Amino acid sequence: MDPRLKVRALGLEFQNPVLVASGTFGYGDEYYDVMPFSELGALVTKTITREVRKGNPPPRIVETDSGMLNSIGLANVGLEKFLAEKLPWIAEHAGAARVIVNVAGFSVEEFIEVASVAGGAAGVDALEVNLGCPNVKAGYVHFGADPDSVRQVVSGVRAQVDVPLIAKLTPNVTDIAALAGAAVEAGADALSLINTIPGMKIDVERRKPTIAMGFGGLSGPAVRPVGVACVYKVYQQMVSMDHPVPIVGIGGICSAEHALEYIMAGASLVQVGTASFVHPQAARQVIEGLAEWCEQHGVKNISELVGAAHKV
Amino acid sequence: MKPSFEWVRVKAVERLADKTYLLGYERPDSARSAAPGQFCMISPPEGKSSFFLPRPFSYFRTDGRARVDILFRTFGKATRLMASLRPGERIGEFGPLGNSFTMPGRAEHAILLGGGIGLPPMAMLAGRLAGAGVARIDLIYGELEGARVVKLAATLPENVRLHVATEDGVVGHRGRVTEIFAPMFAKCDRPPAVYACGPNPMMAAVASMITPEAVEFYQASCEQYMACGRGICQGCVIPVWNGDETVYMRCCTEGPVFNGFEVAWTHV
Ligand SMILES: Cc1cc2nc3c(=O)[nH]c(=O)nc-3n(C[C@H](O)[C@H](O)[C@H](O)COP(=O)(O)OP(=O)(O)OC[C@H]3O[C@@H](n4cnc5c(N)ncnc54)[C@H](O)[C@@H]3O)c2cc1C
Ligand SMILES: Cc1cc2nc3c(=O)[nH]c(=O)nc-3n(C[C@H](O)[C@H](O)[C@H](O)COP(=O)(O)O)c2cc1C
Ligand code: FES
Repeated sequence: MDPRLKVRALGLEFQNPVLVASGTFGYGDEYYDVMPFSELGALVTKTITREVRKGNPPPRIVETDSGMLNSIGLANVGLEKFLAEKLPWIAEHAGAARVIVNVAGFSVEEFIEVASVAGGAAGVDALEVNLGCPNVKAGYVHFGADPDSVRQVVSGVRAQVDVPLIAKLTPNVTDIAALAGAAVEAGADALSLINTIPGMKIDVERRKPTIAMGFGGLSGPAVRPVGVACVYKVYQQMVSMDHPVPIVGIGGICSAEHALEYIMAGASLVQVGTASFVHPQAARQVIEGLAEWCEQHGVKNISELVGAAHKV
Repeated sequence: MKPSFEWVRVKAVERLADKTYLLGYERPDSARSAAPGQFCMISPPEGKSSFFLPRPFSYFRTDGRARVDILFRTFGKATRLMASLRPGERIGEFGPLGNSFTMPGRAEHAILLGGGIGLPPMAMLAGRLAGAGVARIDLIYGELEGARVVKLAATLPENVRLHVATEDGVVGHRGRVTEIFAPMFAKCDRPPAVYACGPNPMMAAVASMITPEAVEFYQASCEQYMACGRGICQGCVIPVWNGDETVYMRCCTEGPVFNGFEVAWTHV
């Protein structure tokens, strides 16, 4: 463990600031023999919903320039099976890595129910609430698009769980800083951003969208500038607040340089997502690259760099 | 053998037919353990980012020690880049992935159908079946155009009977693989083991021509877009019948080999 990479955030110690993003590292077991998540700052598990979800019809994914689109439809094993079959294995293999469980619901009530059960389970260090999930009772608009829904979900979950709470924001909003503010006021201990951006690819031979559901979420290097800008903007918002919270930067991170962009824009932690598909050991490369960069630049602890791009 | 990731050096890229190439490299882990039907994810040389996600390719041939050959056809970015690779360049290989074909239990006759670039796993399987002592092995290989036909005869064990069909009639039977399969199947007096890999309509047609009672099994190797190859992204699902409902199975982990009677061919 490199002391220069050790980070304190959310009241927890992270052996390094590099996490893996929800939905891109499964439940930790699938890649374990190639890339043990115990080396990471934390594992963020695939979004869990109350019921097991079959997900959307295929094709669900397609590559696009410098990225990919996905429309998985939150396919997951469901809360019960996750707690019985996945979480014990994760807890046993975590080593010094933190375990963050990502949760969602299709109503405020379901959100709170899933979060309170998952948040109370042994081996869970923190929760990440996926506000990109559609609210079935509000015309399928995602929770993260509306400050009131954000408040309802975050404060509702906050009241039920003791573990730190991360609100995962989507960039598909007019003013992400306002939503970030709402989440923090409602009790979020950290903000993670960004989730995917809606996109579409058309198969011109078939004259139809390639993805069965039409739209998909864009991820990968293509979204990095959007993610960095969102983190920069939200960091500015945090600076103006009484109780600012740390930011987890996500979107197109494939290398240490990309992670540094996020850190300098204001992120205390980062998540590697789609890059793990390209190279299962991408997160390890980011960790090694950050240590090397600190070495070369005489940085004693990576936290010194958080928000560096804002300083005059 | 657990799958692993490794950068390997290209030994050779050879053009075998129109748009069709052989990619050879050395990777002892895969060469020793890859079973017919299994595949690997190939990533581009570092720095050559003309495509982004790795792409799935079946193992075509291994020497059991170090050498691995992939047979591929050019479609888009990835396969075009692969065709331009030079010996010594480094590509990533993540494998062996997925399940594999089952060796027949009772059947003494195996019928294999390879449509287009569905050929590679069938060719590898034919070799294994011959090694396992299966008495009669028929490999029916079809292409749209004769120019795309890979000359296989010299590389197959002697007792594999190769039948070629092309829709332009330039090589072998003029028509489709199913036209060779139908009379062959009709003549079987005991249930054969049937295997197929190719376009979905071909694999669906085979399913409609046979019944579970008339074969030992029918195994079909399916294709779907993939990202992780490891059961994580849930991107590669195939609809499979479960009673009156379909369930989604991941092609990369529960497949690529499925029970050909269970795949919901009308939904893929
Ligand atoms: C398990 C498995 C084994 C495979 N084995 C082989 C093999 O041995 N040899 C071989 O040549 N190819 C094989 N393929 C197919 C191969 O992965 C694709 O041809 C390749 O990904 C195309 O990449 P590209 O960048 O060249 O084309 P792209 O630009 O990605 O696509 C070119 C065209 O092909 C279509 N396409 C691409 N991939 C798929 C897919 N998976 N399913 C449906 N349509 C697709 C696209 O819609 C597009 O029209 C296999 C696929 C799977 C899933
Ligand atoms: C295949 C796939 C599945 C994903 N599933 C989830 C999910 O279940 N919950 C969630 O909060 N984010 C999910 N995401 C979003 C990622 O966690 C991440 O926010 C986004 O992909 C941007 O990061 P990246 O560019 O590094 O991938 C998914 C992304 C991909 C590509
Ligand atoms: S390719 Fe990711 S689950 Fe199959």
